[in-house]
Amino acid sequence: MDGVANTWGYGAMTNSYNDMRNSKAMLFLGSNAAEAHPVAMQHILRAKEDGSKMIVVDPRFTRTAAHADIYARLRSGTDIPFIYGLLWHIFKNGWEDKEYIARRVYAMDQIRREVEKWPPEEVENVTGVPKEKVFEIAQTMAKNRPGTIIWCMGITQHHMASHTTRLFCVLQLALGNIGVSGGGANIFRGHDNVQGATDVGPNCHTLSCYYGLAEGSWKHWCRVWSLDYEWVKSRFDMTRQYDAGGGKTAYTMNMPGIPVSRWIDGVLEDKANLSQRDNLRAVIFQGMACNSQTRGVEMKKALEKLDLLVISDPFPTHMAVMSDRKNDTYLLPTCTQYETYGSATASNRSLQWREKVIDPLYESLPDHVILYKLAKKLGFADELCKNIKVTNDEPLIEDLLREINRGAWTIGYTGQSPERLKLHAQHRRTFDPRTLKAEAGPCKGDYYGLPWPCWGKPEMKHPGTPILYDPSKPVAEGGLVFRANWGMDYNGQSLLAGGVYSKGSELKDGYPEFDAEILKKLGWWDDLTPEEKKEAEGKNWKTDLSGGIQRVVIKHGCAPFGNGRARCHVWTYPDPIPVHREPLYTPRFDLVKKYPTYPDRKAFFRLPTRYASIQSVDHSTKYPLIFTSGRLTEYEGGGEEQRSDAWLAKLQPEMFAEVNPKDANNAGISDGQYIWLEGAEGGRIKVRAMVTQRVGPGTVWTPFHFGGWFQGKDLYEKYPQGTAPYTRGEACNTATTYGYDSVTQMQETKATLCRITPA
Amino acid sequence: MARMKFLCDAERCIECNGCVTACNNEHDVPWGINRRHVVTLNDGVSGEKSISVACMHCTDAPCAAVCPVDCFYTTPDGIVLHDKDLCIGCGYCFYACPFGAPQFPEGNAFAERGKMDKCTFCAGGPLPDNSVEEYRMYGRNRIAEGKLPLCAEMCATKALLGGDGNIVSEIYIQRITKRGGKSQAWGWETAYHFKPAKEKNP
Repeated sequence: MDGVANTWGYGAMTNSYNDMRNSKAMLFLGSNAAEAHPVAMQHILRAKEDGSKMIVVDPRFTRTAAHADIYARLRSGTDIPFIYGLLWHIFKNGWEDKEYIARRVYAMDQIRREVEKWPPEEVENVTGVPKEKVFEIAQTMAKNRPGTIIWCMGITQHHMASHTTRLFCVLQLALGNIGVSGGGANIFRGHDNVQGATDVGPNCHTLSCYYGLAEGSWKHWCRVWSLDYEWVKSRFDMTRQYDAGGGKTAYTMNMPGIPVSRWIDGVLEDKANLSQRDNLRAVIFQGMACNSQTRGVEMKKALEKLDLLVISDPFPTHMAVMSDRKNDTYLLPTCTQYETYGSATASNRSLQWREKVIDPLYESLPDHVILYKLAKKLGFADELCKNIKVTNDEPLIEDLLREINRGAWTIGYTGQSPERLKLHAQHRRTFDPRTLKAEAGPCKGDYYGLPWPCWGKPEMKHPGTPILYDPSKPVAEGGLVFRANWGMDYNGQSLLAGGVYSKGSELKDGYPEFDAEILKKLGWWDDLTPEEKKEAEGKNWKTDLSGGIQRVVIKHGCAPFGNGRARCHVWTYPDPIPVHREPLYTPRFDLVKKYPTYPDRKAFFRLPTRYASIQSVDHSTKYPLIFTSGRLTEYEGGGEEQRSDAWLAKLQPEMFAEVNPKDANNAGISDGQYIWLEGAEGGRIKVRAMVTQRVGPGTVWTPFHFGGWFQGKDLYEKYPQGTAPYTRGEACNTATTYGYDSVTQMQETKATLCRITPA
Repeated sequence: MARMKFLCDAERCIECNGCVTACNNEHDVPWGINRRHVVTLNDGVSGEKSISVACMHCTDAPCAAVCPVDCFYTTPDGIVLHDKDLCIGCGYCFYACPFGAPQFPEGNAFAERGKMDKCTFCAGGPLPDNSVEEYRMYGRNRIAEGKLPLCAEMCATKALLGGDGNIVSEIYIQRITKRGGKSQAWGWETAYHFKPAKEKNP
């Protein structure tokens, strides 16, 4: 998501599932929609029936691939070379959208130089995709526009993930496919509120809605929360600054925290190497599936070292049983989404209001009640809910959303009041399933769920933005341009759009983001009301709590965040232009010299992070097979909820590993027998072999939803009585290995190594 | 009179098993019984196709023709139901059925299998509509409530269609006209004597 945001402004799906009905080509990479997003498939298959070409590129012949017009099998972790392979044909044949690039894109010429390093033979050598296939896919994407690209965790869970996602964006920019209906970068999120959680919630590197961690960001939110900045500051360790990486130091208040992917290291790493006072000693896991996290063997050690462990979940999770902890471990029974209500944000940035179906079962409580009670014990409940009505320890959900509305100007989470969302839910039938627009009724003109940015205050009645960066509509009606987030120019080239503007814009060229001063220069200042003027003075479109700047700018047809170019060159990244780097655990050690990873880093999200020291050893002699993982339809995430459901459990009763017949023969394994799968760091799992050509020779695949076994042992007796899920099995991540994205610290789950032996 | 039919469009079925789960939950069928299955051909290789299969409620139901106790009957809507109070669990219907629909809950000595169970098109059985006994023996009677079978209603991709045969045909014809392919209304020839080409259909 970071890679996408750094390209054109926002890290989110640009279009929607529904809009894919307008696509002429659909390229799936690292996405198995048929199993992970079955409901989205109705739009995809409808597009296909209308003649759209469906292309699936995946190490595994997935159930999605079964429906594709073109399928290509690629080696795990080689998506960057594959995209360069497509771009090689696109540039060679002049299929790129030259006018689009000239007016809306920055530094495509630097991409061209990298593309030259990837002639068809080299792409085939590295990715394993036959060069004829690469040409066929490039040609199909070029001749069938608008086309969309879809990706999921098969792309984002790599140590090269941020660069990979960025290059996908570049491909779409080269084809002129962004900001048009039927085009877009359609990133499918994993479950119903992933997008919302990312937007408003639990990020370790930024305050809500991507405001960052700078002093100004804290001050903005303190104003929204009606809190004294100095009081908030006093909650942090201000005794000293710590190593923030890159030769800088910072207070922890202004430094990214330890990400969830690395909590193990926060516990186990030598204190002296951390950029904070102490190791993590107490951890609360709220709705957290530890079995979907890598390095299970070390996780067990970390769990056993913690002073306090709290698990807040509807079911006892794999984490509750996997360690040998005896004391100071608490399970908090927590409600499912059906036992509470509120808004959830879908992949396409639409917010949906949902009702409570049943009252909380047994003694379980909703998440927000648990958090409030915890704050009460810790002594800051009043500060937590200063603007929020609390009844019987339950903060009012409508007020929570209203507080988000008051502060979230960056991404336009401001217009979606509880009242508007409830009205949408009530009149769901009036929205068109293809355009998402209500053509009649009380929501007339709105897009379903007011997809963000829904600019200004709710009273402004912005309809939401169904397609990001689409200049064919006025901003007031959901149109947009690329965000100008990185200044006016870089290295002598303009970062502002050239002669492109959204429909009805009074500024007929690129422009920077708006603040009070610019409004005055343009003579638009007096369009503000006296109250708005009072608040907006000295502020910008992100910090003006009156919403006046956004209102006036949009009235003049402009986008509050400016009108910039999408960037192919991101100078703040470890690789400003994406380059291929072999996985840390690569089966092609011969390629490491040419495509090496990064040097190890000393302080990155407060932790030392290893790259080269792992990759410099050839692990493939002992562990010759690629080990990758993915989704089953029946289960989701860690699978606790579904494995505890009788109807779903019986459909997928056992953990298994897909093994190609060739590898099975070599290892003396037959279909259905138990095998040991040992990961390259020594973690072992005992699973059934499913011998199938679904995976190619040299690749082993497992689902990641199982838990309740650890290294061959069923942990049934460790569950509190009557709570063990029907289906238990090895967590595949007991056998996965080290590896973290060089920008976001996302874990590497999709390209590591293993070996298999009969059990 | 309208006639109820099922149709599964293999071009749209993604083997998500949503239909199977909807059915199991709606009718609270015991473990081991699957009134509906998803069958996958060429699993994991090029040409992989999946199709959801249950009782097709045939026009001249072969199960009824072989049943020694005559427990089957066809409703005015064309739904094939059976009376579990008459059923002796002989299993003849299982051999006669071209779709593998009949299910038997038990496997006891002397090949005693228990009363046959199968898809009811969510139409219950011969007991009073929506009575407790009907639900216990045959599952929910949605048809009596004016609702269509839940499996098709919940199908994510609308691969599985269930309802008035004319409407089902109409939806499917629109799809194949768009796709430009020929009709592959799987099972219709067997179940409903449907002739895919220009021949006159019943």
